[in-house]
Amino acid sequence: MAPTSEHEPLGPPDEQRSPALTRRGFLSKGAATIAGVSAVAAALSPLRNLDPADRPTLEKLLQKHYKEMTPEDKQRVLERIARQVEARYHVRPDVQDPPPLKGVEFVYALNISRCIGCRKCVYACVKENNPSRAPEIQYIRVLQMEKGSIDVEGSNHHYDPPQVPEHDSFYMPVQCHQCSKPPCVKVCPVEATWQEPDGITVIDYDWCIGCRYCEAACPYWARRFNFAEPQVPAEELNPDMAYLSNRPRTKGVMEKCTYCLHRVRRGRMPACVEVCPTGSRKFGNVLDPDSEVSYILREKRVYILKQDIGTLPRFFYYFDERGSRYHEPIAPVGPGGRT
Amino acid sequence: MRPFLVPVTLLLLAGVLWSQRWPFHSPVVVPPAAPAWASDPATVRHPTLRPDLKLASYTYRCSTCHNLFGPPPDSAPTARSPHGIVLKHGINARCLNCHHPTNRDAFVDDWGREIPYNEPYRVCAKCHGPVYRDWLHGAHGRTNGYWNTEMGPRERRRCVECHDPHQPPFPPMRVAPPPLTLRMGKQATQMERPEVRNPLQIYRQPAGERAAAERASGSVAPESETGKVK
Amino acid sequence: MRRYLTFLWECMRISFVGDWRYHLWMTILTIIALIGLYAYCEQLVYGLVTTGMTDQVSWGMYIANFTYLVGLAAAAAMLVIPVYVYRNMHLYDVVIFGELLAVAVIIMCLLFVTVDLGRPDRFLHLFQRFNFPLSMLTWDVIALNGYLLLNVHICGYLIYTAYCERRPSPLFYVPFVFIAIIWAVTIHTVTAFLYVGLGGRPFWNSAIIAPRFLASAFAAGPSFIILTLQIVRRVTTHHVSDEALLTLRRIVQVAMVINIFLLGCELFTEFYTDSAHVASARYLYLGLHGHAALVPWIWTAIVFDGLATVLLIVPASRGLPLLNAACVLAIFGIWIEKGMGLIVPAFVPTPLGEIVEYQPTIRETLICFGIWAFGLLLYTIFVRISVPVLSGQLTYRKRFGQPAD
Repeated sequence: MAPTSEHEPLGPPDEQRSPALTRRGFLSKGAATIAGVSAVAAALSPLRNLDPADRPTLEKLLQKHYKEMTPEDKQRVLERIARQVEARYHVRPDVQDPPPLKGVEFVYALNISRCIGCRKCVYACVKENNPSRAPEIQYIRVLQMEKGSIDVEGSNHHYDPPQVPEHDSFYMPVQCHQCSKPPCVKVCPVEATWQEPDGITVIDYDWCIGCRYCEAACPYWARRFNFAEPQVPAEELNPDMAYLSNRPRTKGVMEKCTYCLHRVRRGRMPACVEVCPTGSRKFGNVLDPDSEVSYILREKRVYILKQDIGTLPRFFYYFDERGSRYHEPIAPVGPGGRT
Repeated sequence: MRPFLVPVTLLLLAGVLWSQRWPFHSPVVVPPAAPAWASDPATVRHPTLRPDLKLASYTYRCSTCHNLFGPPPDSAPTARSPHGIVLKHGINARCLNCHHPTNRDAFVDDWGREIPYNEPYRVCAKCHGPVYRDWLHGAHGRTNGYWNTEMGPRERRRCVECHDPHQPPFPPMRVAPPPLTLRMGKQATQMERPEVRNPLQIYRQPAGERAAAERASGSVAPESETGKVK
Repeated sequence: MRRYLTFLWECMRISFVGDWRYHLWMTILTIIALIGLYAYCEQLVYGLVTTGMTDQVSWGMYIANFTYLVGLAAAAAMLVIPVYVYRNMHLYDVVIFGELLAVAVIIMCLLFVTVDLGRPDRFLHLFQRFNFPLSMLTWDVIALNGYLLLNVHICGYLIYTAYCERRPSPLFYVPFVFIAIIWAVTIHTVTAFLYVGLGGRPFWNSAIIAPRFLASAFAAGPSFIILTLQIVRRVTTHHVSDEALLTLRRIVQVAMVINIFLLGCELFTEFYTDSAHVASARYLYLGLHGHAALVPWIWTAIVFDGLATVLLIVPASRGLPLLNAACVLAIFGIWIEKGMGLIVPAFVPTPLGEIVEYQPTIRETLICFGIWAFGLLLYTIFVRISVPVLSGQLTYRKRFGQPAD
């Protein structure tokens, strides 16, 4: 009886090994193979729950990087996106790809003398840019800062008093600063994020592989990742979309503030600027000497966050040269000098 | 029997995995819907910029009543009803500093000439020079519309759309909900100021560690935490 | 060509052959790996929300394990240097196990990076637009894959020539061995530079990270090899001399001392300066604003490292029991300090000062275990193949009765 091949001693081998297969050996090997294959199939079984829209298609595989797309490619891609959004949200969007305007470099200025921390900018941005509501993604984070300190470590992001502004605090909203030397662009391995000629750092959501290196690199914590499939209520969807800014994203890709690219490249203001009740937010073309931001950079006391890192952000905080808010007006003085 | 242990184990594993007995429970918390006012770009005030007074469903022009009366004596610092105006404009406590003494449908400038009611910024500019200069250049007050005036109109908000001229300090507002990100954990809603890396917290009185220590030792009478200006 | 295919078939055949202990070990590893695959498929369906990572702590266990394993892979060079550079022949017979470990471990590293990706279906984008030389991740991709190819070539060539009973030509493997020595240092330096180059994370933005990586890698890797060589000695007929183990012990000894010294440098710089930049270090070692989840871990790691160093220095650790204890302590201590003690604290607090702590989920842990199990499975298979082939028991001639040529 030839030895079964299950227990092969590691001593001197046979000179002539007969490959005789017993029935027992065949059955056990067959059973092992079948069991192995079915175990692997069972391990792969959660994939049957994969959302049909999520499955890899040939079209997605062949889609080029944004910078390599011809106008026809772009048209086809915009059509596809409009179709997908309509299928999912039952809202026909207007998906465009506005090119950058010439002679424009966008700069943002924020008056911390005036910001009261109401967070309306956060929610206006959310309404405009279609980020996920669950899990919640907000591009703007307002920091309540302790008086006397510029150290963000002592800041509070989760303040929730009955009224703002609170005593002895000032407020500093932070969003993507569209830096001139962006560390996020430097570290992206597939060039899914880059800086456009008008200064906005954009992401090609169909190119990003989701490695989150840019999120680790950003010194201002400005980039967000879609850990789950984004949930946006259909009635809150903003149908005015652009390829590089606020079209709905899928899970597994990065996103961030784009200065409302779809608005600003058509000459409008970003949503956060338009909603601020105190007028603390200022936006414009710094290459135009008559713009609001040029005036601010010339005349006001501006500073930037984390200057020592050397990112050269295009986001300036400024404060007015006189006192800021009065909580109690000075008591009126009558003609005789009496109060 | 022994050769079949491995296949049986693997088949058992396959069965357990295929049955998906442990479905994934998402930790995502659906935040409450954002309040509508939180993304509403309306200004805090909606002045008509007309010399009108709505009283009991009738709209009066200011001059309707004020042509009947003479100018008030200078010693009356605050206006009374029917306007219901409380004047707390700092040391600007005289109505006729802004309002024209004889034509109440207009304001008055430094030379006694009329300023039309729909140009209130010229009134404010009489005293608030630096802010007016900033406002003209766009550094103060909100701009809506288009940054690129070649593509559309730039809309500047005027003073009284944010500031009540009789009580100008911008009033405190309610705050929109704080962030509720994935797996955030418990976060403090109050500012914690325990770490004394901020010298201001040491040297300010009566708040700060020094005062707390003095209070604790009983050498200083307890005072309100935030001081006299609230 | 036909001979090569036969060789591959033989390798596959012999992987399924062994005594009951071998089958038990392989079945357990297979089960763990399959459970890990199941958890990963769930991650593909639901997204990375199945892990404990958040926008605040966006890299966790996967990158922690990846970092540790790159160190283990680099440590294969620690076997090669004594033999090929210093002509220390005690380790001559065991170099191949170090190289095989490097292959298995690099595959584990690549798997850890793949499971960390949000869109792994787009990995082909790496070949279409490659941000080299600016992005350190691209350097890492080249380094890791190059190292894998180098070691696969060296091991494959040596094993295949032994299978064919031919003398391996030095031209085909010795230059590659020397390249592999330099490349081993490169892979770990490049992995360190991934973190070091980020100005927004002051915990990482320090020059000492790269030397510490290498020191801890050269301590953990040879420790791992000491343990696996003893297992190889016990279950196979391959001869592993005690001198080989003692040479490795000397390497671990020196590397641990350097590691402890560099740790001391780091602790001094952080805590003597006590500036705002040390918030992450404070979080790790002392806790920050009441959040102290990592404090017991890092102090355990430091105790383990210290104990391991002391044990290795005393002459009693020339005996195997103490040596093994020191190796186990070194492996776990360095795993903690390099994995969780390096990756996670850099994200706490966030660059804006928010503190959100990280806790890996069950699915994330199962995927990590699955990849470890798969790597050990691969390594076991490699040892299972290489021992009979290199000792001359499994050759083409013996199998088919005629010489390979």
